[in-house]
Amino acid sequence: MQRIKLRDIRVAMMIVNFIAVSFVSLFIYRTTENICEEYQAREFLNTVRAIPGNPLFTVFIAVGLYALLLLSILLRERIWVNNTTVAYGSLVFDFLVSVGIVWALNFNYNGIFFLVFTGVISYAKGDKGKYLMICLALVSFLLTDRELLSINYKMYSIYDYINYYDASTQQYLIGIYNVLSSLNIILFIVYCIFFIQKQKGTIEEVNMLYDEIRKTNNDLQNANKQLEEYARITERMGETKERNRLAREIHDTLGHTLTGISVGIDACIATVEQDPSETKKHLEMISGVARNGLVDIRRSVNELKPDALERLSLEAAITKMITDMKDITDMQIFFDCRVSQLKFDEDEESAIYRVIQESLTNAMRHGRASRVWITVERENSNIMLTIKDDGIGCAAIKPGFGTQHIRERIQMLNGTVEFKSEDGFTVSVRIPIRWGEEYD
Amino acid sequence: MEKWMHNKKILSGVVIALVILCATTALIYRREGGFDQVLEVGIFAGSNWGVANANSYVIIDKAVAKFEAEHPGVRVHYYSGIRKEDYSEWFSRQLLRGKEPDVFMVLGEDFNQFAEIGIMKNLEPLMDQDPTFDRNAYYSTALRAGQYGGHQYAMPYETMPTLMFVNKSLLSREGIEVPDNDWTWDDMYRISKYVTKDRDGDGILDQFGTYNYGWMEAVYANGASLFDENGTKAYFNDEKVMEAVRYTRQILELNGNKKVTRDDFDGGNVAFMPLPFAEYRTYKAYPYKIKKYTKFQWECVTLPAGKDGGNTSAVNTLLMGISDSTGQEKLAWEFLKLLTYDEEIQTDIFRYSQGVSVLKKVTESAEAEEILREDMEKNEKVIDNKILGEVIENGVVTPKFQKYNGAINLADNEINRVIEDGDNLENSLRILQRQINQYLRR
Repeated sequence: MQRIKLRDIRVAMMIVNFIAVSFVSLFIYRTTENICEEYQAREFLNTVRAIPGNPLFTVFIAVGLYALLLLSILLRERIWVNNTTVAYGSLVFDFLVSVGIVWALNFNYNGIFFLVFTGVISYAKGDKGKYLMICLALVSFLLTDRELLSINYKMYSIYDYINYYDASTQQYLIGIYNVLSSLNIILFIVYCIFFIQKQKGTIEEVNMLYDEIRKTNNDLQNANKQLEEYARITERMGETKERNRLAREIHDTLGHTLTGISVGIDACIATVEQDPSETKKHLEMISGVARNGLVDIRRSVNELKPDALERLSLEAAITKMITDMKDITDMQIFFDCRVSQLKFDEDEESAIYRVIQESLTNAMRHGRASRVWITVERENSNIMLTIKDDGIGCAAIKPGFGTQHIRERIQMLNGTVEFKSEDGFTVSVRIPIRWGEEYD
Repeated sequence: MEKWMHNKKILSGVVIALVILCATTALIYRREGGFDQVLEVGIFAGSNWGVANANSYVIIDKAVAKFEAEHPGVRVHYYSGIRKEDYSEWFSRQLLRGKEPDVFMVLGEDFNQFAEIGIMKNLEPLMDQDPTFDRNAYYSTALRAGQYGGHQYAMPYETMPTLMFVNKSLLSREGIEVPDNDWTWDDMYRISKYVTKDRDGDGILDQFGTYNYGWMEAVYANGASLFDENGTKAYFNDEKVMEAVRYTRQILELNGNKKVTRDDFDGGNVAFMPLPFAEYRTYKAYPYKIKKYTKFQWECVTLPAGKDGGNTSAVNTLLMGISDSTGQEKLAWEFLKLLTYDEEIQTDIFRYSQGVSVLKKVTESAEAEEILREDMEKNEKVIDNKILGEVIENGVVTPKFQKYNGAINLADNEINRVIEDGDNLENSLRILQRQINQYLRR
């Protein structure tokens, strides 16, 4: 809708400029003929500062150049649309042709530049280039002002020719001349207003989209908060469950044993004086119960705190895990740690431990490997962890083989994981370590 | 696809329109003779000096023939039959239509305006580039006449000093000798006073000393300047100007309240009248000498010298220029040079025209003297070529600035009024000085 309007204004400007260019050149030609026919030529020369060349040539040159200008606009806007080279080339061409027209008319009409401005405004891409070209065009319009130039250069003026006629005709002619100039400027201003409005429309659209994005972002943040809340609740639920288990465990083992011990001791108290040998037998039994209880408690504690990792350093924990694994399988495991001190943040250590544990399990269960090589090394600020086995590997890495679990853990630390099933199965992990906290 | 076809139609339409436009332009250009090597010349018929001339085109035809022989393939064309009084209008019309000739004559009253509106080519680069050209060959006054704003816009073709006609019959009747060429204001005043009388005794003066001797002749003879070069300042309250005006008033007072006319001079009743050299040439020569001034014998001398000046007078010069928009600059210059610098052509000015050559060498040659002598009767004194040369060289060229004509008209009216009314001269000139300066500044 708006585009059509902009184009209509330009077409109107082209028509107005055509009329103005023809009017100025034809008027000077016609007036010259009048002057000559009325034998006023010498008299007329006294009233001018300069005279044009051949006025008939001027008509042909001005109108011809104008035709070239229209051709250039046509080529740019209809034939080779969206061709940047043509666009810029023809804009420069337009400018030169306009200078030619203005020159031919001896600066008596320079409104033609406004027509070129509209082309510049609608076609020049990029703010900088556009403003530069608009500045150039405006400067050329101001510099080609006849009154300004006539201070230093001898130029003929259309007013000299208008003054040849009687007063009423003069008013009429000046009227036409001024209306044409003003109409052209008014059309230019209208064009600019429409153009600005169109640009404003685009800006509003962008603002609307931006608002939507912001709303969606808010929604996401809210969802995130809710998720955090759920996580907290889940954690608390876990805690409760753990307490319950602890309570049950204490009740089942410690309670049971202590009950047994206290009942046995009560019996011993009763029999210790009459039958010390019976009592001794009882005490031996109680001792067994207590020992059994101790075993149970140890087992319980082991169940409550199952990870070697929590008791040992990372390296020791890994070594223990390897030793345990060696005990129950005949898999050979080679651990090569090239980092002097394996001491990281808890989550990092945990991740490394779990990845090794999961990988070893996979090597054993799915890969049926006989040898596994574990390498830990430092590369810049990253820890590179490689677990390679000589097992059968797997054709396609399916989630659920523990790989998904590994990936999630590592991604939480902004690390990367790579699985490769080639000469066995290789897991390569890169974890960016927060070394700064190493010495805390 | 359809859109492309539509665009193609528009495109072919525009291309056809352009082709038609170009063809028409070329055709018009062709019709104007744009493809031929034609040098257009603008000249007028008859004399520039207001005297009869039967040999209008002799010199130009000779020059054209010579030029065309020297430049094969070039044609020189001029419109014949344009009278001097129509020339200015004709030329202006050509100018307005952009069809002005490449080389053309410029009338004295047109020169300032034409140079001002920039239609005449500045000839200095052409003069400087031409190794065969020497500007010192010209009388400097003649050359100066073609200058405007400090630049040479036109070359002198023919020059015309002003001389004093002397009624020899009247003087010899009164027992007075024809004055020498170094006579002064006092001489003229004395003679004028002596000859001014009422011969028939009717109480009205009928014999006079001077006719047409005005304040400007006196100013020129007194070495005074009226304006500076650029026309920004006037010098009417200068002592030399005052003296000249005072003298003019004295001379005119001799005539009493009688207004002397041309008829009085033609009737043989006036002793002195300043006139261009052309009249001397024309009316001394056959066939015109039987038409005019048959009632008395007459001769020509210089104008009388003022107290602070010499025997100088105004020098008029016929100028020729080149169009600023000519496409044949070199040819135009060659032709202009042929007309104004060629000794053969310039000698013809004595033969076929009534002016004086602008070249020192030609004017002061034996050949020119010979030509002048042909017109004279045996016992008549011929004006000396050397003196003629001096009169030209020392002559006064009116300054070239745009407001000159307006300013001089204003001054002429006012000074003539002052002379007639007998107002206080010093005061009047001082007021005039202010007025003229105001006019120049406006």
